[in-house]
Amino acid sequence: MNTPQKVPVTILTGFLGSGKTTLLNRILSEDHGKRIAVIENEFGEVGIDHALVIDADEEIFEMSNGCICCTVRGDLIRVLGNLMKRRDKFDYVLVETTGLADPGPVAQTFFMDDEIRAEFSLDGIVTLVDAAHIDQQLGRSDESTEQIAFADVLVLNKTDLVSGEALDRLETRLREMNRMSRVVRSKQADVAVDKVLHLGAFDLDQVLERRPTFLEPEYPFEWTGVYPLDAGRYELSLAEGPDPAMSLVAVSGQGTDDPALRDGAEWCVRRYAEPAKDVSPGEVLPFGQHVNLALDSPGRKSFFLEVGAKTRIGLYAQHTAEEFDLRVMDAAGSAIKEEAERTWVAQHEHDDEVGSIAIEKDGDVDPERLNAWLGKLLAERGVDIFRMKGFISIAGEPRRFVFQGVHMLFDSQPDRPWGDSPRRNQLVFIGRNLDEQGMREGFDACLI
Amino acid sequence: MPDLTADSPQGILRRGWSAAVDDYAIAGGWARGGEALLAADSAGGVHAFNGKSGAGAWARRGTHDGGLLAMAVHPGGTAFATAGQDGRAVVWDVADGEPKQTIEVGAGWVEHVAWSPDGKWLAAACSRQVCVYGPNGGEVWRSADHPSTVSAIAWSTAGELASACYGRVTFFDAATGELGQKLEWKGSLVSMALSPDGDVVACGSQDNTVHFWRRSTEEDSMMSGYAGKPSALAFDASGTLLATGGGKKVIVWSFHDGGPEGTRPGVLDLHLQPVKTLAFARRGMRLATAGRDGDVVVWSLDKDGTGEPIGVAVLAGYGTELCWRPDGRALAALDAQGGTTVWRIG
Repeated sequence: MNTPQKVPVTILTGFLGSGKTTLLNRILSEDHGKRIAVIENEFGEVGIDHALVIDADEEIFEMSNGCICCTVRGDLIRVLGNLMKRRDKFDYVLVETTGLADPGPVAQTFFMDDEIRAEFSLDGIVTLVDAAHIDQQLGRSDESTEQIAFADVLVLNKTDLVSGEALDRLETRLREMNRMSRVVRSKQADVAVDKVLHLGAFDLDQVLERRPTFLEPEYPFEWTGVYPLDAGRYELSLAEGPDPAMSLVAVSGQGTDDPALRDGAEWCVRRYAEPAKDVSPGEVLPFGQHVNLALDSPGRKSFFLEVGAKTRIGLYAQHTAEEFDLRVMDAAGSAIKEEAERTWVAQHEHDDEVGSIAIEKDGDVDPERLNAWLGKLLAERGVDIFRMKGFISIAGEPRRFVFQGVHMLFDSQPDRPWGDSPRRNQLVFIGRNLDEQGMREGFDACLI
Repeated sequence: MPDLTADSPQGILRRGWSAAVDDYAIAGGWARGGEALLAADSAGGVHAFNGKSGAGAWARRGTHDGGLLAMAVHPGGTAFATAGQDGRAVVWDVADGEPKQTIEVGAGWVEHVAWSPDGKWLAAACSRQVCVYGPNGGEVWRSADHPSTVSAIAWSTAGELASACYGRVTFFDAATGELGQKLEWKGSLVSMALSPDGDVVACGSQDNTVHFWRRSTEEDSMMSGYAGKPSALAFDASGTLLATGGGKKVIVWSFHDGGPEGTRPGVLDLHLQPVKTLAFARRGMRLATAGRDGDVVVWSLDKDGTGEPIGVAVLAGYGTELCWRPDGRALAALDAQGGTTVWRIG
């Protein structure tokens, strides 16, 4: 008997009026050729040919042990249990919750119930946000905060009703609360279906590839300068400054517009995560590598850049050019004017008690230490941890492990082989009042 | 009927016959003293087979819009009831598959039907209510809403019905619907079995425990340590043993000698996948169990709950229901691929 493919499930949450039903209709009316079952807890006006719509009263079942993390949704277990009793199963299940639903029990159902877990996989939680009203809602209700915290995708809807500036501010606030999620803006829930369905574990990959800074609250560098250079040998000259050393990554082929600088910054964040190569005055700087410039000798120090063909180079430096009077000079000793320059401002506000903690570390972890640490963390703080996701590099395992969890429940499984890619651990926790430093130290102690 | 799926059964299981229904085989039962086997599929097909040969007697399709959820054979063996997502229960004639009564139970799914042991009453559970119907299909009474959807119903005696839901087991007088005993426990009860004398109520709970009460003393106990949700429970005919599925290991609690409190259960360990259906033969201590991978095992048990496998066979799909013929000389298994397989017991 073949092991059947698990049926993916997407949960749609959001306050009344945020546009859940509109998005649901959009998904169902698209010609995707899939057989979708929809489970609703509110009578909607959906009536689409391709879908089976089942209305179920929300039934929240707490366990005798009193643990909120073990609370499940009995109606889902019952309805999904019956949906799987078919030889030709549905391709996809959408669960639309009520506006006031706590997403915890819904998500936990897919971890807690062994029969549901055997047949279904939680593909993602999509939370619709009414851009015009969410600010007030967040102040007033725990449910809307939790719906944001649980989301894999945040659809910032009704953007036409709010100014661009207010939207940016709102997006920053939501990202601070949940750095794991992808934010999609829409006017009338007009979101491409592939942005909300079939996210899978690989979505995390994409999120991390595209925006690794989701994992780093601040850029590890403060300044970037772009210099147009012809082929030749150049001198990077620095005066005495505040520190005896400075981290830097030099990039060739750097663009000068903002997207190019951002792309470069995202790329350099990864280089910064790698161990730095020490470089002494008089040595040549390698491109694309994290280096640590030794600046402890008195007076100006010179390092060298060798450019093979005309290009623009970007210098991503730990400190601003001003602090060390950083200059790039040609062989004749004349300074090259930078073509573009920007400083990176770390945005880090803690207005909301719900926030994200991201840990990114190279190297392998000891599985026993990791289990012990995670076990203790979840036992003590599971109630306050809404979601966690990530990749783990386990010592001696050729494959990377992908894990995800809800409160104190989690699931991990081997994913693709590491191959040539650097072995790295990336974890994101979304929770309430989390002890960031303690968690970082705890994870560090699991590294080999 | 040709043998389609039976895969060289071993031990006391001897090749019998097999047949197919149209979809996931969801419920079944022997009728007319074992002369006929009924099998229903989730799409709403109901099939009657000759119990000895497997020859098809009749088939009805589309019995319940949206799908069929439950079936129960009348103790007399000449009628049976089905229930489905259309909110109806239908009583059928075993001989020709003609509907005798169609009952509108409610607006929700009708997930459970059960005949009283004397065959007088038919109970049906729909959403948060249970309803009892008389011999002519007329409604005798209907309960108030339970705190949650009713997850199981069972008759303790011919005169009393039990229902299980989140947080409690409730007893009702069969004739009047009057509320009787109420047993409470903060947990989601997902399955229920009553001992033959009606004194012990056992429920599987969502938190992977089995909870049971002795009605005479109102004492209750909880058995934990299950690897999965104990959705299958069965008492043997003497009331000595309670077999419970859920994980790969079948756990058998013995009520012999003052147990099961403080005793070690029998552990039947052969399945490679969780066991979600099991059934005792009506006589003797033979238990049949089916795993999610399609393995079926017949066990011979002792009074203390321990046992040995005495027969093994494999189904094409995950076993959904096991039905012993009333004389114990044949075992039928339904599976998720629509297979209906009958073995003779050697």
